[in-house]
Amino acid sequence: MKVKITNGMFVALIMTIIYAKAIGVTQGSLAREIGHDMWIATILGTLQGIVMMILTAAILQKLPDQNFIGFAEALLGKWAGKIVAFVIFLFFLFSFGPIMVTFIYHFKDYFLPEAPIYLFIVVALIVGIFGGFHGLEVMARMALVGAFAVVCLNILLLTGSLSEFDIHNLRPVMEKGFIQTSWASRHYDTDWALATVMAGMILPMVKQSEKWVKAGWSGMILTCIAITMWPILEAAVLSAPVTAEYIVSCMHLARGAHIGIFLHRYELIMIALFSTSSLIQIMMSLYCSAHALSKIFGVKDYRPMLIPAGLALGAFGYWLVLDHLRAISFTEKEWPLISLPIAFLLPIILWTFGKLFRRKLSRS
Amino acid sequence: MDNLEKDITDSLAENTNIISAILGDSADINKREFSFGQLKGVCFFAAGLANTDQVSTIVRSFAVFGEHQDASGNRTIQAISRSLILNTSVETKTKINDGIKGILSGDTLVLLDGYKEYLLVETKGWDKRGVEEPSTENVVRGPRDGFTEDIRTNTSHIRRRIKNPDLRFDEMTIGDKTNTSINIAYLNGTVKKGLVEEIKSRLSRIKIDGVLESGYIEELIQDAPLSPFSTIQSTERPDKVSAALLEGRAAILVDNTPFALIMPSYFWEQLQAPDDYYNNFWMGTFFRMLRYFAFLTSVLLPSAYVMLISFHQEMIPTRLAFTIASGREVVPFPVLFEALIMELAFELMREAGLRMPKPVGQAVSIVGSLIIGQSAVQAGLISPFMVIIIAITGISSFAIPSYSTSFSIRLLRFPMLIASGTMGLLGFTCAFFMVMIHVLSIRSFGEPFFSPIAPFSASEHKDILVRVPWWAMVKRPRTASGELRRLGAGQKPKPPSTSEERHEGE
Repeated sequence: MKVKITNGMFVALIMTIIYAKAIGVTQGSLAREIGHDMWIATILGTLQGIVMMILTAAILQKLPDQNFIGFAEALLGKWAGKIVAFVIFLFFLFSFGPIMVTFIYHFKDYFLPEAPIYLFIVVALIVGIFGGFHGLEVMARMALVGAFAVVCLNILLLTGSLSEFDIHNLRPVMEKGFIQTSWASRHYDTDWALATVMAGMILPMVKQSEKWVKAGWSGMILTCIAITMWPILEAAVLSAPVTAEYIVSCMHLARGAHIGIFLHRYELIMIALFSTSSLIQIMMSLYCSAHALSKIFGVKDYRPMLIPAGLALGAFGYWLVLDHLRAISFTEKEWPLISLPIAFLLPIILWTFGKLFRRKLSRS
Repeated sequence: MDNLEKDITDSLAENTNIISAILGDSADINKREFSFGQLKGVCFFAAGLANTDQVSTIVRSFAVFGEHQDASGNRTIQAISRSLILNTSVETKTKINDGIKGILSGDTLVLLDGYKEYLLVETKGWDKRGVEEPSTENVVRGPRDGFTEDIRTNTSHIRRRIKNPDLRFDEMTIGDKTNTSINIAYLNGTVKKGLVEEIKSRLSRIKIDGVLESGYIEELIQDAPLSPFSTIQSTERPDKVSAALLEGRAAILVDNTPFALIMPSYFWEQLQAPDDYYNNFWMGTFFRMLRYFAFLTSVLLPSAYVMLISFHQEMIPTRLAFTIASGREVVPFPVLFEALIMELAFELMREAGLRMPKPVGQAVSIVGSLIIGQSAVQAGLISPFMVIIIAITGISSFAIPSYSTSFSIRLLRFPMLIASGTMGLLGFTCAFFMVMIHVLSIRSFGEPFFSPIAPFSASEHKDILVRVPWWAMVKRPRTASGELRRLGAGQKPKPPSTSEERHEGE
């Protein structure tokens, strides 16, 4: 039986795969670049993401049984498929760096400062491979739970921080101008890039191909709603300069949240809810990279590839996270340079080839 | 044993010898020979299984028959069974195997000289336990009858509740040596499509020497054989089985056990009690929520406590942290060790209380919980807060209606404790996540175990986290086939709205 997930699960996967990094690490980068206008950059990034998600869904609707790799193979032959698989593997290999930055720095810097980094990597890989082994259906169900966790987390944070909300911290709007704010949105683009490339890999396993486009853009909008609350609160409660001081700025906001005098620290509950999204990022990266590897090596089942994929991704993640400076530098500088060309160009190239080889496509 | 597959001959002596040889000299197998006029015969029956009064009646019938007939040969055996035997069920058979099975099930085999067929008369009549209230599933409001060890009594409990010709009990026999009767109960036309066939296919694959309890069947047919969670619900309650049948599910009844199996089963049902449906829906919903809370407490509380005390003390409100710290001041053990010891001690007391005779068991519990607990705290071996945590966890696990689920929780608690006690929040979160992945990955007869939460099904939510009033539960669950509407239109009760209507009512 071929695994099929619902469009609702696909929306939940979009939300959870973007959320974890976008609320904290990305907002810190945005704050360092454009100050309190980070929420505008997030919205501008979402608009770009919606376009790319629609394009991704529209491309794959032409061949609903194929993902990006299969699409390239059907149009341009076996080797084109392998090249696309390699590009996708590289994408998820490097994405694992910022994902590990998000996961490990949340846990290590704020809760377990004495624990060795390899422990986090090993545990993340065990959970990721365990989830990846069970397949997309289970991850999608987990994403539904994750979406619920996201809503709970937002409500908890809102409840704990609203009393210190100062709207003056959000003014003046668009302080650095539209161009610079738009340019800064590339940091958020790297977050939705994970969702669009993931969609390029899993859409054939989503039911009702006629609804993919709608599910894609509605997922991006819902994610934007869930995320934009964070930069607004970070700017209004912490202020942009304070947000800019931290790699994981959302944790600082969560630490400050309190309900009355007795519940003055509840970031532990929030981090438990947050980890659902973070762990889904890890599982999905491993799942997609194992899929790409299985295509490269012509292995029918992706599961045996989870271990080599995990070793490669884990090694890169470990190397990156060892040094905070290297981690943040890669996340802000190199990662956009790697991810955005793939996220933008891969669908555009495939779409162009789809147009050029229209007859071949219709035969396929 | 080759004789088992043979047909009987018309020689009484030969047939008697064959059957005697097959059954051996077993003390409980009785052979009653009779000879009335020209009619000669032998009755075989198992003492204790067959009702001896009924066997006597059969022999008496032949006595009357023999005295008034010159020869029996001019009557067919079917005619004899129709006109002579007064018992409710009588069959004519030829295969020796069928007769042996019948004897061992409490029937009486009657061999007559000169006939190539024999009579198998139903004379089942062994001692049975009376119908009692199920000891593992008590209710405050609801029927008090429970299943017994007799499969026919159990099917009658269901039949009494569902007086519908579509209620079916399909019979199978499993166990090469025990020949245990198994009945698959379902409502024809309502049961989920393909479910009965799937159950039969799984049951027919079972090759085992004996089935002594439904647990054997459960383990041999469930979807997730290595899971600590049971994907088949077991129950002693006929009302629970009847409700499941009305929802399009099926049940397996096994002879010699009061525990029936319901399939498919969902995670959420393990936390629902029959009272939820019999009491006011507000109460039903409240107690259901309370049980969900108890479930989470039971799984997470000890590990959360250990995690907080070992790694994240700053997360505890200051005054509470001081209280806990003062209690732990003299305790020489790390909190993880303390928790593991306490959990094991609690399980030990529970197990000892269960296995001992009732009055002694209670004494063990009292000695364990009060005296040892108090002494351990006074000796500074255990902190008072840990005793409270373990006690709350224990009480929470008692609130879970399904016994098998409370077992699963008890098993899960230990890895959760170790993960939280060694890796703090990281271990707690990741262990919980792995449990979640496992729960989300398992199925029960094709249905996702965690449904209808994940995968999400909006139409099913009237009876999951909350229990809406009966008049709002218009449709059956989507697993059922046929007519999905279970309730007529406009069933919400309302008082007469105008004074005229009120007057008419009077």
